Amino acid sequence: MATEDIVRDIVTRITRKDTSQFTSTATFKDFEADSLDIVQILVALEDEFDIEILDEELQNITNMGGFVAYIDGKITEKG
Amino acid sequence: MLEGKVALVTGGSRGIGRAIALELADEGADIIINYLRHRSAAQKTAEEIREKGRRVHTIRANVGEPEKIKAMFNEIASIFGHLDILVNNAASGVARSAMELDERGWDWTMDINARAFLLCAQHAVKLMEGRGGKMVAISSLGSRLAWPVYTGVGVSKAALEALTRYLAIELAPYNIAVNAIAAAAVQTEALDIYKPAEMLTETWQTTPAGRMVQPEDVAKLVAFLCRDESFMIRGQTIIIDGGFSIAPLIT
Repeated sequence: MATEDIVRDIVTRITRKDTSQFTSTATFKDFEADSLDIVQILVALEDEFDIEILDEELQNITNMGGFVAYIDGKITEKG
Repeated sequence: MLEGKVALVTGGSRGIGRAIALELADEGADIIINYLRHRSAAQKTAEEIREKGRRVHTIRANVGEPEKIKAMFNEIASIFGHLDILVNNAASGVARSAMELDERGWDWTMDINARAFLLCAQHAVKLMEGRGGKMVAISSLGSRLAWPVYTGVGVSKAALEALTRYLAIELAPYNIAVNAIAAAAVQTEALDIYKPAEMLTETWQTTPAGRMVQPEDVAKLVAFLCRDESFMIRGQTIIIDGGFSIAPLIT
């Protein structure tokens, strides 16, 4: 499964939103994600990919496209 | 003073947990650092402990999940074979008032802050069998004061303190001492979520001791509760706040 598919599944499962809402330009705000949603999404992704997501590195990410690219980068970094 | 002891510090990568891990290592204990999200910080703390000449091991586990707790203790059993000290420090929560707090936020907070201590204690007892041990839970003054948007955490800490009393009685025959520490606002990154800068200024201004509680203050008290000289202290929640809670109107 591609990274984008896994991120989409996790984000939509935790925010309880329709997967069709997940586009590269969508934001966490579009999913009405609260702080707990976001923490749970990050934990789930760290579990799934065995990576560490640094909160400070997320500050400049504006949409799901950027978020998926960031996760991909972390997977590559891990090797 | 804690030479040869093996200690688990949940949430031990940063802040108060990190200070506790380092303090117990300074006193001679080998350390297991549990963490959830901050792997780099956990590794950095582990490296500092290794440099002190102690054994150290890191375990990633969300203590809000019973299966993850079980796996963590299986790992501890296979690597260390036993446990002498459990420091229940990991905490989380959502910054919400009572009217805004939903079921998910409540469950998340209670599972990590209160239920985890029960489950960790149940597993830890098996690893302390025949040798005794110490358990210390890190609470907060929010268990008895009502701070804005601290509802979930405050209630979970009240449960933690009550659980401390029950465990202290139930585990005394096994030579296991259980106590809790309730700190005032401690100067860590986690505080940023709950208290804006002006409130922090107010906190230290109204603290008779003249400064805020530092992680190292809490860590030294944990170390004391882990030593045999604290043998007769059981089921207590010891407040460490520089006098803040008894002199709230001093400015």
